Amino acid sequence: MSDATASADRTLRTGPGRLLVAVYGVFALAATARGGYQLATRFDEAPLAYGLSLLAGIIYLVAAVGLARAGRTSRGVAFVSCAVELVGVLTVGVTSLLAPGAFPDDTVWSNFGSGYLFVPLVLPVLGLWWILRVHRMDHR
Amino acid sequence: MVDWLTMTIQMAALGMAGWCLVSTFRDQPMVVPHLVGVAVLWLLVIGQAVVSVVAIAGGDRPDQTAMFVSYLATVVLLPPACAVWGFMERSKWGPAVIAFACLVLPVLMVRLEQLWNPVV
Repeated sequence: MSDATASADRTLRTGPGRLLVAVYGVFALAATARGGYQLATRFDEAPLAYGLSLLAGIIYLVAAVGLARAGRTSRGVAFVSCAVELVGVLTVGVTSLLAPGAFPDDTVWSNFGSGYLFVPLVLPVLGLWWILRVHRMDHR
Repeated sequence: MVDWLTMTIQMAALGMAGWCLVSTFRDQPMVVPHLVGVAVLWLLVIGQAVVSVVAIAGGDRPDQTAMFVSYLATVVLLPPACAVWGFMERSKWGPAVIAFACLVLPVLMVRLEQLWNPVV
């Protein structure tokens, strides 16, 4: 591993990266616990919505670990999971507005994450921006 | 759940969040007074948790006890977790993490109150 790569790895998980990992960690916990609990207790009511919450939680977890580990591979993993989140929150957001019946119960991503102060919408954008920034530093 | 304790925790957490945000914008790392603030907040939260657990043990329990207890555990773990984060990050982003945790705390307290006293 070259010195430049090593310093980029440190950069990804220090500074703003550390805050991102903390926020991702909290959201991973919130979404996974919520989805898991709802699937375990009320599976019949809205399996799609609850499954989606659980899936979102797992993706947040992957992103958090990817950002925290910050190797070249981890950076790629974090990048992909942030991208999936962004697509997910946009898709589910539009769907929940156009076809409210699709999700009888709210998920983390319903209405673009309005139940969570729109953090789910902003978070992947910040994550992608941060990873790309560090990536560019790496290649300078 | 003791109402005035919840209020105190929420006010203290928001105050801490404001203070830590100021530190972040002034480019200061986490310092000992921040830690003392987090410790005071933690003691308040632990107090609330002990009172609630005693009430639950005494039979005064919310409908979704498992959910309530898991939220309670998260709230109790939050202050020490953000303090550890502050130690790891010796830059202005340390207080930023504490500020974030102190903003999440009041929200979790609201959720706890909802579980304790569901408004039908």
